[in-house]
Amino acid sequence: MTALLTIVFNGMAYGVLLFIIAVGLSVTMGMMRFVNLAQVSLSMLGGYVMVVAVASLGWPFLASLPLAFVCVGAFSVVLERLVLRHFYGSDDLTQVLLTLGLVFMSISSAAYIWGPSFRPVQVPDWLTGQVSVLGLMLERYRLFLVVAGGLIAAALVIGLERTRFGAMVRACVDSRRAASGCGINTQLVFALTFALGGGLAGLGGALSANLLSLDPNFPLRYLVYVLIVVSVGGMGNITGSLAAALLIGVADVVGKYYVPAAGGVFIYVLTVALVMWRPQGLLGRKAA
Amino acid sequence: MRDALRDHFVGRARWKTLEWGFWLIPIALYFIPQSNLPLLSQVLVWGLFAFSLDLLLGYRGIPSLGHAAFFGIGAYAAGFLGKYGWTEPISGLLVAALVAGLAGLATGRIVRKLHGLALLMVTLGLNMILFDFALRSTDITGGDDGLQGIVIAPVLGAFKFDMAGRTAYLYTLGVVFVCFVSVRALLKSPFGLALLGARENPRRMMALGAPIEGDLTLTFGISAAIAGLAGALLTQTTQFVSPEALAFTRSADVLVMLVIGGGAVLYGGFIGAAIFLLMRDLLSAFNPIYWYFWIGLLLVVIVSTFRKGVLPTLAVTWASWKVRRART
Amino acid sequence: MIQKNSRSWLKIIAAAVVAAAAATPTLAQETIKVGLLFTYSGPSGISGQLSDNAVKLFQQKHGTTAGGKKIEFIKRDTTGPNPEVAKRLAQELIVREKVQILIGPDFTPNVLAVAPMVTEAKVPAFIAGAATGGIVEKSPYYVRTFYSVPQIVRPMAQWAWQNGVKRPYVLVADFGPGHDTEATFTKTFVDLGGQISGNSRVSLRNPEFSSYMQRIKDAKPDAVFVFLPISELGPQFLKAYSDSGLKSSGIKLLATGDVSDESVVDAAGDAAVGLITVGTYSHVHDSSLNRRFVAEYTQSFGKTPRHTAATVAVWDSLKLIYDGVAAQGSAKFDPDKFMAFVKGRSFESLRGPVTIDKATGDITQNVYMRRVERQDGLLQNVEFNTVTDVPAK
Repeated sequence: MTALLTIVFNGMAYGVLLFIIAVGLSVTMGMMRFVNLAQVSLSMLGGYVMVVAVASLGWPFLASLPLAFVCVGAFSVVLERLVLRHFYGSDDLTQVLLTLGLVFMSISSAAYIWGPSFRPVQVPDWLTGQVSVLGLMLERYRLFLVVAGGLIAAALVIGLERTRFGAMVRACVDSRRAASGCGINTQLVFALTFALGGGLAGLGGALSANLLSLDPNFPLRYLVYVLIVVSVGGMGNITGSLAAALLIGVADVVGKYYVPAAGGVFIYVLTVALVMWRPQGLLGRKAA
Repeated sequence: MRDALRDHFVGRARWKTLEWGFWLIPIALYFIPQSNLPLLSQVLVWGLFAFSLDLLLGYRGIPSLGHAAFFGIGAYAAGFLGKYGWTEPISGLLVAALVAGLAGLATGRIVRKLHGLALLMVTLGLNMILFDFALRSTDITGGDDGLQGIVIAPVLGAFKFDMAGRTAYLYTLGVVFVCFVSVRALLKSPFGLALLGARENPRRMMALGAPIEGDLTLTFGISAAIAGLAGALLTQTTQFVSPEALAFTRSADVLVMLVIGGGAVLYGGFIGAAIFLLMRDLLSAFNPIYWYFWIGLLLVVIVSTFRKGVLPTLAVTWASWKVRRART
Repeated sequence: MIQKNSRSWLKIIAAAVVAAAAATPTLAQETIKVGLLFTYSGPSGISGQLSDNAVKLFQQKHGTTAGGKKIEFIKRDTTGPNPEVAKRLAQELIVREKVQILIGPDFTPNVLAVAPMVTEAKVPAFIAGAATGGIVEKSPYYVRTFYSVPQIVRPMAQWAWQNGVKRPYVLVADFGPGHDTEATFTKTFVDLGGQISGNSRVSLRNPEFSSYMQRIKDAKPDAVFVFLPISELGPQFLKAYSDSGLKSSGIKLLATGDVSDESVVDAAGDAAVGLITVGTYSHVHDSSLNRRFVAEYTQSFGKTPRHTAATVAVWDSLKLIYDGVAAQGSAKFDPDKFMAFVKGRSFESLRGPVTIDKATGDITQNVYMRRVERQDGLLQNVEFNTVTDVPAK
C-alpha cells in the first residue's frame, strides 16, 4: 500500500510539472485563440536562465526561479510584439507552422549559445533526498513541486476570477471589440497575458530542469505532452489543465509501475480515450 | 440543364497547360545526367503522401497529425509481402493500398464526431500507439533495425531496381502519375465538390441531403489508401522498412509540406514536398550542425509571405498581375 | 550578318575546347574520396560533431595525403537512425560523389539498410557507431571499429557473478539493442548459476523513472544492471536512482558504458559517482598514447562536448584508411586489396590493443570494468579490471 501511495504522489508531482509548463499554452490558446507551439521553447529558455544563474552567476536556486519567470516573460512580450501579433487572425495551421519554425530556430540557437550537451543541474541540499511524511518516504524535490504548483494554480484561478486585470482578460476574450469599446486597452491586455503565459512556461522549465533533462532538444521531447495536457484539460481552462495534468501524470506513473511493457504507450491510450469521451476537455463547456 | 451540368464538370476536369508543364519536369529530369534521381524519387513519394493528406485536410478540412500511420501500414504491408514471398511489385502496391485503406475507413468511423484540437490529438495518439507497437515488437517487425530480407522482383519482370536509382525513379514517377490522375478525376467530380461543400459549411450540406458522414469515412479511406500506396512505394524502391515510416516526425513533416505548398490546389503537396526536401538537403549539406535554424527561418518566412501556401499565393499574385496588365 | 557572327563564335569556342582538352595534364595523383555518414543534427547530433573533430585533428597530425594520394572527406548528415535517408545519402556518395571508402553510417538500422549497396559497389565501410551483434557480416566490405553488445555484456555478467552478485534486477530500454542486452546478460548470468530477480523495459520516450525505482525496491535485488542508450535517459535514471534512496541502500549499480558515456555523464553530477560500468574506452585509460590524445583534443576543441568511444572508433578507422591506402602505393585503389589489408590487422588504439577479425571484419579488443569517480572536477570512468582480447560475438 505504501508503494502505491508513494507512486501516486510521484505521479502528482510529475503532473504538476506538466501543468506549469502547459498552462501558458492553455491560456494563450483558449483566451487568445493563438496556437503557440513555441511555448515549449520558452520553457527551455527558462531552464537555461536558471542553470546559468545558478552555475555561472552563483545565484541561489530559489532566487533563480522568479528570475526565469521575469526574463522569459519579458522575452515573450518582445516575441509577441515583433512576430506573433501579426498572425492573430490567421488560421490555426498557419500559426502552427509559424511557431514550429520558431521552435526549430530556438533549438539551433540554444545549441549555438549553450552548446549541444546536456546541462548538469544542481539544486540545494535541502531539496535533495527523501523525507518521511505520514509514514511515506517522499522525495523532497517532488514535495517542493507539488507545493509550488498548487500555489501557482491557486494564484492563477484567483487572479483571473477576482482581480480587475482578470476581468479585463476575460472581457477581451469574450469580445475584443466590445472590450475596447469599454475603453480597455486590448493590445496591452493581450501583451500582458502573453507575458504571463510565457513567464509561466519559463518558470516551468526552470523547475523541470532537475527532473527532466535540459539540452537544446528539450522542446521536441516535451511538445507532445504539453499538447496532450491542453487538449485533455480543455483550452483556456486552468482548473481543467491542472486536473488533466494530474490525471495524466498519475496514470503514466501508475501504469508504468503495474504494466511496464505498456510504459510509453499508456499516456497516448489515455489521451485518445479521454479526448473521445470529452472532446471539449475534462472541464470544458460543450461547443454550441 | 443536364447538359450544362455535365459541361460544367467536364470543364472543371480539363487539364490546364501549366499542369502539362508540371509533369514534363520530372520526365525531363530523368534525362539530365546530373539529376539526383534518388532524391527526386523521395520528392515524388513524399509528394504523393502530401497529396493524400490534401484530400483529407485541404479538400475536406479534416486536420490530421497521424497520417504517417497509414503511410507506415502500407510500407510494412509491402515489406511483409516482399519478405514472405510475394515479390511482384505492382500487385504488392495494390494490396498495401487496400490494407491501409481499410485502416483509414476504420479511423474515419472512430473520429467522425471530433473536430479541431480533439481530432488532432486522437489522430496523433493513434499514430504514437502504432509506432510504439512497431518499435517494441522486435519479433514481428524487426523493431528498430527494420524488416530484414525484403525481396522485390523486377518491375514487369524486366526492370531490376538498380543502384543508381533509375528504375526506382521511373517506377515511382509512373505510379505517382497514375494515382494523381485517378484522385484528380475524383476531386473534379461532384464528389470532390461535395467535399469542399462539407468543409465550408457542413450544416448546409446536410440540409441539402448530402451524406457527409459517409463521405467523410470514404475520404478517410481513399486518403489512407493513397498514403499507404506511397509507403509501399518507398519500401519497394529501397527494399527496406523500419518504424521511421510510422514516426510522428513523418506526420508533422508531411503536414508542414502541405501547408507550405498550399491546400486544395491539387499540386500543393508536390510543390511543398519539393521545396521542403530540396531546401533541407541543400541546407543540411551547407551547414550540417545548425541547419535546423535555417529551415525554421524558412518556415517563418514562407508563412509570412505566402499566407495561404506557396501555390495559392502565387496563383492570386499571377491573377492580379494579369488584371493589372490587362488594364494598362 | 547574324549568321556570320554565330559561325565565327562557333569556331572560337571549338578552338578553345580543343585547346583545353590538349592542355589538361594527365592526373599524376589519385584522390581517394572518403564519405562520412554521421549524425550531425537532432538528438544525437553531438556524435557527428565529435567525429568531425576527430577527422580534423587526424588530418592536422597526419596530413592530408597517404602513400602519395590525397585523402578527401565528403560529409552527409544521416539525422539519426533514419534508414531511408541513410540509404539515399549512401547512394549519393557512392554513385554521384564516387567515394571509394565510407566511415559510417551510424546506428544499426542505417548500417543494415546500406549493406547491400556497399557490397554491390565494393566500397569498404567502417562501422564506428553501431553496436548490435552480427551486423558486420551483412557485407564483406564492412569493418567494425566500435564494439558489439555481446562483447561488453557478457564480461559484465561474468564479473557480477564473480563478485558476489546473485539476484540482479535488469532494466533496459525497450528497443532492439535493449532486448539484445537483456537477453545476453540473462543467458550468461543464468548459465553461471544465477537468478534474475526481476526486469523492466523502459520506453525510449520516458521522462519519468519513479515507477521503475519502486519496482526495483519491490524486487529487493542485490544489484541492478542497466542499459540505456546514450541520451538524456542515462543521467535521468542516475538522478532518479539517487533521489529514490536506492543509491545509498547498498545495492550495486551496474551498467553498460552508454550510461556513463563521457558526452552525457556530467549532466548526472554526483548521482553518477560510484557507478560501475563495462566499456571499451575511457578518457583516463592509462597509456601515453591516450594521454597525449586527450590533451591534444581538449586543446584543439575545448572541454565540452567531451569525446567518446565512438570518436575513438572514427580515429581508428582513419588510421586504418591511411595505412591501407599507403600500402597500395601509387597503384589504383583496389577495394579488395584494402579489405585484405585491414582484416586481420592488429594495432595499438587509444583504448588499448585491438584486432580486426580476419574472417568477419568485426573487432576484438580489451573490455574494461570501470568505476565513475570525480577527478579534477570531471567525472571519469576509472578502469580497475581488464578482460583481454574479447571477441565481438
